[in-house]
Amino acid sequence: MHLGTVPYGEAWDLQRSLAGAVSQGAIPDTVLFLEHPPVVTLGRRTDEDAELHLPAGAPVEVVETDRGGKSTFHGPGQLVCYPIVDLKRHGRDVKLYVRNLEEALIQTVAPFGLQGERLEGLTGVWLTSPPRKLASIGVHVSRWVTTHGYALNVDLDPAPFTDWITACGLEDATFTTVAREAGREVTVDEVRPHAVAAIEAVFGLELEELPADEGAGLWAQPVHHELAAT
Amino acid sequence: VSERFERDARLYDEVAADLDRAAAHARVAAQHFRDGVVPRGAAHAWAVRGHLLEAQARLDAQAREHARLSSPEA
Repeated sequence: MHLGTVPYGEAWDLQRSLAGAVSQGAIPDTVLFLEHPPVVTLGRRTDEDAELHLPAGAPVEVVETDRGGKSTFHGPGQLVCYPIVDLKRHGRDVKLYVRNLEEALIQTVAPFGLQGERLEGLTGVWLTSPPRKLASIGVHVSRWVTTHGYALNVDLDPAPFTDWITACGLEDATFTTVAREAGREVTVDEVRPHAVAAIEAVFGLELEELPADEGAGLWAQPVHHELAAT
Repeated sequence: VSERFERDARLYDEVAADLDRAAAHARVAAQHFRDGVVPRGAAHAWAVRGHLLEAQARLDAQAREHARLSSPEA
């Protein structure tokens, strides 16, 4: 589902409810693609004293979340992907799931001439050399159903990652964007189809764009079939 | 209150919480559809369905348990 720009709180509430629905098989694995208005999110491992140095009056919301990892920044121009999938169907392995998200990101940026890489001991996708962080990952798993996901910097000012916070707890890290590295204007709309294809390839999913103008309607086809049969 | 009734009370608390969340998502879905923000409306509509089915599943489980207790030989 492509949701457009969604406030962080609404998206988080939605994820938790959809995760419950996926958990009991009421809806299929669901992947949300969206952007957030400016927001700093804190993970379970965030050290607020060390990582937060927001200037007074900074136009940004701060939200404490239940995902893994440390602090990060979201804003317009960043493609956020929240896969809500049942890992009982995808290997029951959280580390493998995170590696798969990294692989999906690497495949997503390849069409833009970028060679994403993993760095030993760090989560996310980077470009080298020198190391520049292109995408962040933070996940939560409950009853084997995932929430949260990844944030890919497509075209935004990366200054908040360092000026407002010490993103991911990484001192002296450099953050970059697809547009900056590709040397041209790149939009979230241009990247999203590649992101969808990569998620499908890595997780073996066939994602149905919902709601569709024609055909599929409001509900996923498995739900349609179930309702039509009653 | 017996342990059994306390367990029943907790179950109905959980059912009520699911129904509250379903209602909240339904209101947000309605607003998004009115605003023409269809994908977000649809996502909240899915959330409504999930919470209703969750509540239904809890009630069904309790009904099965009561049926088992009332007809232990069945």
